[in-house]
Amino acid sequence: MRILIVDDETLARAYLVEQLAVFPDVEIVGQAANGFEAVKLVDELSPDLVLLDIQMPKLSGFEVLELLAERAPAVVFVTAYDEFALRAFEVHAVDYLLKPVEPPRLKSALERADARLRNNSGAPSVAAQSQALLAAARPPGVKLDRVLIREESKVLVLPVERLDYIEAQDDYLWFNADGKRHRKQQTMSDLESQLDPARFVRIHRSYLLNIDRLSRLELYSKDSWLAILTSGAHLPVSRAGHARLKELIS
Amino acid sequence: MHPIFSQPARLALYFGVWLIFGALLAGVLAIGHQTPLDWALEFAIPQTVLLGVLSLSTWYLVRALPASETPMPRLLGTWLGAAIVLLAIWLSIALLWGRWLALRSAMPALQDTAQRLAPLLVFVGAIGLLLAVLGHYLLAAFDRSRRAETRSLELQVHAREAELKSLRSQLDPHFLFNSLNSVAALIGSDAAAARRMCLLLAAFCRKSISLGREPAIRFAQELELTETFLAIEAVRFGERLCPRFDIAEETRNLSVPPLVLQPLVENAIHHGIAHLLSGGEVFIGARQREHLLELIVENPFDPEAPKSRGAGVGINNVRARIDTLYGHRASIEVDNRNERFRVTLLMPATPLPIAAAAPAP
Repeated sequence: MRILIVDDETLARAYLVEQLAVFPDVEIVGQAANGFEAVKLVDELSPDLVLLDIQMPKLSGFEVLELLAERAPAVVFVTAYDEFALRAFEVHAVDYLLKPVEPPRLKSALERADARLRNNSGAPSVAAQSQALLAAARPPGVKLDRVLIREESKVLVLPVERLDYIEAQDDYLWFNADGKRHRKQQTMSDLESQLDPARFVRIHRSYLLNIDRLSRLELYSKDSWLAILTSGAHLPVSRAGHARLKELIS
Repeated sequence: MHPIFSQPARLALYFGVWLIFGALLAGVLAIGHQTPLDWALEFAIPQTVLLGVLSLSTWYLVRALPASETPMPRLLGTWLGAAIVLLAIWLSIALLWGRWLALRSAMPALQDTAQRLAPLLVFVGAIGLLLAVLGHYLLAAFDRSRRAETRSLELQVHAREAELKSLRSQLDPHFLFNSLNSVAALIGSDAAAARRMCLLLAAFCRKSISLGREPAIRFAQELELTETFLAIEAVRFGERLCPRFDIAEETRNLSVPPLVLQPLVENAIHHGIAHLLSGGEVFIGARQREHLLELIVENPFDPEAPKSRGAGVGINNVRARIDTLYGHRASIEVDNRNERFRVTLLMPATPLPIAAAAPAP
């Protein structure tokens, strides 16, 4: 089994290397000290399993998983202590290890990962639920504060306050910010549930608007309106969307 | 203890009121019943004071029959009975007193006057008694509400103490487990360093427990605790963590609440340095500005770092404690402009009590 170790602490990586040395069929293909490096190394090395720390500079372990999406290999999270993350792991049946990692637990986590690799389609992929996991690991009341988008080999971090609006198209969302648009595979309802409802309004089946960007509303036909944004963009507003807008503004 | 006897001022006020009552009664007798004024005063004032003394006994009934908890028929019946007994006693004494006064003044006509006054006396006595009973009930209610107030204040003080204790004793589990992880890693590669780390951890836990128990400690002790904490974190973060101290000598012997500096440094590391790929400097400053002690903790941070667990807990914890201890005399300010996070804590520069000024052996 080819393993990538991701942790920002040198000693923590060294400990895992040492513990993994006793398994004859384990090969450590690389080590990453932060989230960006981890995403890059997974692409380059395509490991079978990633041992992924949660608290890291730049990107958290959850965000790394979200960015890897369908390309993600098997993942076992490694954390010292994080009560919300642990609850999320339990709910979503995600494998995790607690620092300092106990050898028998490491062994059984490796065995489970190995079993999944063998029958391939076995348990549901962790990556498929990365969004739900990310949401569940957030402390209650804390909303999504940034959106991560992969473009080619680059990782884009978009703070939500920079977003103008989001448009849904087929299986994708287009994030409009700073005059550019960025595509990401995600559903509108999933995104909407993670954003702060006092800032982002679903003005239309296909449009989610950052209320700060609204300049004015124009009546378009009997039951529809146009939202004119500060950037000059025009977005359709449905009847239900109009009601939601009015409720938020009043 | 009778509530009227419990305070001299209450006793004086109580009998003062009865004296005025007596003077009014004398006035009524002199004007309405054409008795000589001196006789009327001599008759009425001792009698109203006597009624006042008799009325004091109603306190025991007031206590036995709380107005809000006693059924109305029982309340009325008991008080009616008591009033009849008290008034009968008082009236007999009053009549005897009137007769004796008449005999002594050698004005036999006045003997009958006293007899004729009986209905008026019953009326006046009943009103006096009624007022006395109501007064006692008011007093009882007043004392009860004051006791409740005292108790609620006591409860607040206890709650605050408990809160302080629990705030002081928060040891971050994340810190503990990460440190143990470092020890586990070092044992394989550098046993001596692992041992040093164990000793540092033990020292840190011991100090934070023992200092946390004290209401106030020397600032030098807080600094020592902070240095131990930094030494542990230096093992984890390696070169990413560079502490820099600027401590004015005169601050070392000031008295501070325990764990005011260390949580701020912990915050600087976990929400600042830990999110920076190449780390940075944690600046720790202390100086005295007139009658205030100023503590500064400053570190670089990544404004785009992922929201981390428990951000602000350490600062809020320190803020809650200095608020409780000093109120508006202390302040804590946070400045996070230009990717630098700076916490400034101002609190009264309290000199150590003489006995504690000598460093512990």
